[in-house]
Formats: sequence, C-alpha cells, structure tokens
Amino acid sequence: MGGLTRREFLKSSSGAVVATAGLAGCASSTGELEAKRGRRVVVVGGGWGGATAAKYVRIADPTIEVVLLEPNRRFVSCPFSNLVLSGVRNIESLSFGYSGLRDRGVKVRHEMATAIEPDTKRVRVGEGYLTYDRLVVSPGVDFQLEQVEGLAAAGDKVLHAWKAGPQTVELANQLKAMPDGGVFVLTVPPIAYRCPPGPYERICQVAWYLKTNKPKSKLIVLDANQNIVSKTALFRAAWQAYPNIDYRASSKVVKVDPGTREVTPELGDRVKYDVINLIPPQRAGAIAVQADLVGADKRWCEVDHVTYESVKHKGIHVIGDSTTGLPVPKSGTIANAMGKISADAIVALLNGQPAPSVPPLNTCYSWVSDREAIAVVNAYKIENGKVVQVEQKLTPGQSTLCAQYAEGWAQSIWADVLS
Amino acid sequence: MLTTALTLFLLFGLATTALAGPLDTPGYAKAVTCSACHGANGNSRSESMPILAGMNVAYFKKAIEDYAAGRRPSPEMEPFAKQVKLLGVDEIATFFAAQKREPSPGKPDRAAIERGRAASTACAACHGPEGQGDAPKLVPAIAGQPAGYIRNQLLLFKADKRSPGDPALTQLKSVLRSIPDETLADVAAYYSSLK
Repeated sequence: MGGLTRREFLKSSSGAVVATAGLAGCASSTGELEAKRGRRVVVVGGGWGGATAAKYVRIADPTIEVVLLEPNRRFVSCPFSNLVLSGVRNIESLSFGYSGLRDRGVKVRHEMATAIEPDTKRVRVGEGYLTYDRLVVSPGVDFQLEQVEGLAAAGDKVLHAWKAGPQTVELANQLKAMPDGGVFVLTVPPIAYRCPPGPYERICQVAWYLKTNKPKSKLIVLDANQNIVSKTALFRAAWQAYPNIDYRASSKVVKVDPGTREVTPELGDRVKYDVINLIPPQRAGAIAVQADLVGADKRWCEVDHVTYESVKHKGIHVIGDSTTGLPVPKSGTIANAMGKISADAIVALLNGQPAPSVPPLNTCYSWVSDREAIAVVNAYKIENGKVVQVEQKLTPGQSTLCAQYAEGWAQSIWADVLS
Repeated sequence: MLTTALTLFLLFGLATTALAGPLDTPGYAKAVTCSACHGANGNSRSESMPILAGMNVAYFKKAIEDYAAGRRPSPEMEPFAKQVKLLGVDEIATFFAAQKREPSPGKPDRAAIERGRAASTACAACHGPEGQGDAPKLVPAIAGQPAGYIRNQLLLFKADKRSPGDPALTQLKSVLRSIPDETLADVAAYYSSLK
C-alpha cells in the first residue's frame, strides 16, 4: 500500500481492490498504464478545453485521480499566434509547459490516445490502456485535406498554421522571405471552423506586415464564405487601412498545386502565389471520429448542454472545438468555459449529485494592427436544458484600450487553463 | 481489527455521500466562468481586469447593475452582467466577497508610487487613507487593485464615460479634470501598491 494516502485508501471501493491495485502498480507499456486506485477521470487532449477540465476536476474534488493525455510537451496558444506572422510577438511568448497541472496532481502523460472503448470504459494508448470512470474528449479540430485536390500530397509545401506551433513560425519565415512585390494568398474555409474571426485577424496582421515592410506586395484572400464570417463591419473598417488586401468572397478553393504555385477556386480563374496559407476545411479531432462521437455529418460531436456528455456514448464528455449544437463559436474562451463547467458536472455526478446548470460565456479579441484590437462578446443562459444566447455585443470600433483588455484576457486565461 | 474495519467503513461511507468540496460552496459553480478574465477566485493577475475577491457585496451588485444598464459602458461586461443577473447575482456576489483578496502582483514603480501618494489626498476623503473604501456609501476598496484597472477607471470618470451625468459624481469628475493623465496613472500606482 506504499504511496497511497489515507484519503485515497478511504476513497477506494474496498481494501481488497486497493491491494490488487498495489500489485498492478508496476509500470508497464501493456495492460493498465496507471494503477487505478479510486475514481478516475481521463482527459484526451491538453488544449484550452482539456487542460482546463483536468485542472478543475482536481480543484473541485482532489480525491479524484486525473490523467491527461497530450502528445505535445508544450502548449502553444492559437489566440495571439497571428501576431507571430506580423512579428509583433514571438512564439515563445505563447508557449507554456504543463508543470502547473502537475503541481495540481494531474498525471500528465505525453502520449497519444489511439482509441476509445466505451463498453469497457478504456482509452487505448499504444499497447496499453487507461480505465476511466468518466472520460473527457477535447481533441480540437482535424483537417479535411481530401476536400482540396493536391493538398494531402503537398505536405509541408502548403501550410495551414491553424494549430499554433512550427507551422506558424515557418509561415512567418516565408512571409519575411517573400520579395517585395510578391503575392501572399490566404484561403478561408467554409464554416464551421476553429476561431471564426481568426482568418480575418490573420488578414489584418499579414496586410499590416506587408504595408509596413513590403509595400509593393499584395494579399489575395479567397474566402469560401459569402462574406466575412465574424465581426464583419469591424473588419471592413479595419481593412480601410490596408489597400493591399484583395478580398474575394464565395471563392472556395478546390485545388492547390505547389509545383506551379497556383490555387484554384471553385468558380473563377486560377490564382498564382508566392506564399500560400491554405486553411483547410475542418472537423472534430480524429479520435472523436474513430470513437463514433460525431453525428450524421461525420464532422462534429453533439453533447448535452449542461454536462457536455456525448449524446452517443454515456460517460464520455466532449468539449471545445469538436462540439456542435450549442450557439457558441469555436473559441478558446468557450473551450475554457466548457472545461470548467464539464469538470464541475463530472465531479457532481461522480459524487451522486446533480450537475450544476451553468452556461458558458465568450469573448474573442482580434488584433487589427500592431496595437489596436476589436472584440465580440457573447452571453448565454440555459433554458429547458439548452444553451441559449442572451446577447452578442461588439466593440464600437478598434482601439488600444481593447488591445489592453486583449492582453489582460490572454494573461488571465492562459493561467486559468494551465496554472 | 473489527473496530478498525468498522471505523474505515464509517469514514468511507461519509466520504462518498458528502462532497465537502468547492461545489458545496454557494456561488462557486456559477462564478467559475469568470476566472477566464478575473483570475482564480476573483484574484485577477492581469493589469487591466479588476480583482473581485473580497469585493463588498452591495458594491459588486451595484457594478453589475451599472454594467447591465449601460451606465458603465463596456462591450465585455454589459452582456456578462446580464448573464450574472440571470444566474443569480446575490450568490455570485457573496461568493466573491468571501474570497481572500490577493493584491495585484504588478511591478511597483517606487517613484510613481511616491508621486501618487502625494497627489492622493483628495481621494482619501471618500476612499479612506488606506484606499479601503466606505462600504455603507458604496465607495469601493481600491487598495491592491491592478494599477492599469484603476487608471482606466479614472480616465473613464474624467471623460464622463463612466456613470455619465450622475450628480453624485459631478464633483469627483471636476476634480479629475484638473489632474493630468500622468498624475492619475501615479495615483493608480499608489493605490495598487497598498495591501
């Protein structure tokens, strides 16, 4: 029984189980990967939703064991990563480790969950598995490369930079290396995708960089949607400062050829580029699809609006960008809120209590230059078990004050997710 | 041996039926989403967001009412104040009031603090010599709030953008108009430095 605290012992279902767990405690890459001594929550994915959920389960009930599976050793924030493209920020300022979660007793394993078995309540990790009482799935998005001809074969020659990290840095380098007079093409996928205002903030940052450093260059935007998806009027106003933007709505990209450096929209002529940033169409992270958590659309996961439990599999809670059905954007703030609310629901349910009925909230800040930002804010309530929007509000214009709040938000929420 | 087993059984039984954790604290679950901006238990660690921990209940409720009604214009807080009211402002206000305030960790600028101290005499009349406020009169405790937050509020008052036209604040605003923005930043640094 070495290593067991009195509390963990008391929390386990019987002395006999504890003895067995003690024997099974030797580390092994097959079988149960961590000796299960009491109630356990496994979290798949250490992004905005998953890391938050792992932390908040430990806060609400420290007797519950939490194992977080996240292949990456560093958390790199997607929010603010567009500022890396303009050189206003560096990627290190957006990168954090997981030691804060470890300090809270979360068992962080830098491994990939390969499969979920709802019947036996197991998550497969390589040759072994982890048994759970409740599972949180927060896998973010994956790209539907097959939707654009030539994209899968293009590999690293066509960057998305839509998961902050090495691709963000590489795209910034390509932008920096582009000759003045060059053409940067950015493509926006059809909704729904991660971070609705994200592509338009990126357009601002690239346009600001080009205007400041390569004034003869041009930014061509091929948007699959009929208009700017989010904060439309505010982005239109911001773009007045960037005559180098050539925005083309209803221009869904169907083909890319890195050999000839051309992209082809569904309607209209091929477009030549010097640097391409193709943001592909998206769906829920692969494991959500593999585990049959996605709906008929095979893209997104439907969940209960109070507990975030999957409508398809009991005991599995899905949060963050991979969810659908709530009137919320796929944003970091929403994923963070879902992480906390689902954590409280799970702790309540594991203790035989009803889940508290708490709606999420949203703020999305977008940087429109090196110093000014805009924001959209969404408030919600729960009505008859469903999340309903109470109000959406936009900043009256762009301002440095809003940028101050954006900085404050980032500082606060990074800590809320990770420390 | 039997006694030990019985004791364990009783303890175990108690441990599973009562949660006795944060979820049992009224307001905890409803306030949990606020931490995205306002920090753990309302202890904001950023320069621009106010600390809610330890805030007087009546002042918290006034702030929520003012935001919801647009008297404190804020694109962020107007919708969220409405959300708080729908969730139950009393419970949320009581939760934050019960949290221990941890003063802002901002880096102190000694020279600014000293200049601010010298310029703060007019403020002490209402906010008290230690910035502790005057709860019955709904004057907030500003000691230890982030300097950036205090400065922004002073600038909003000065420009009559916070509680515009409120007769109770006419005198305050006319005093502020006579003070340069840099001095207001010093005053903010001073009150932020008080613990």
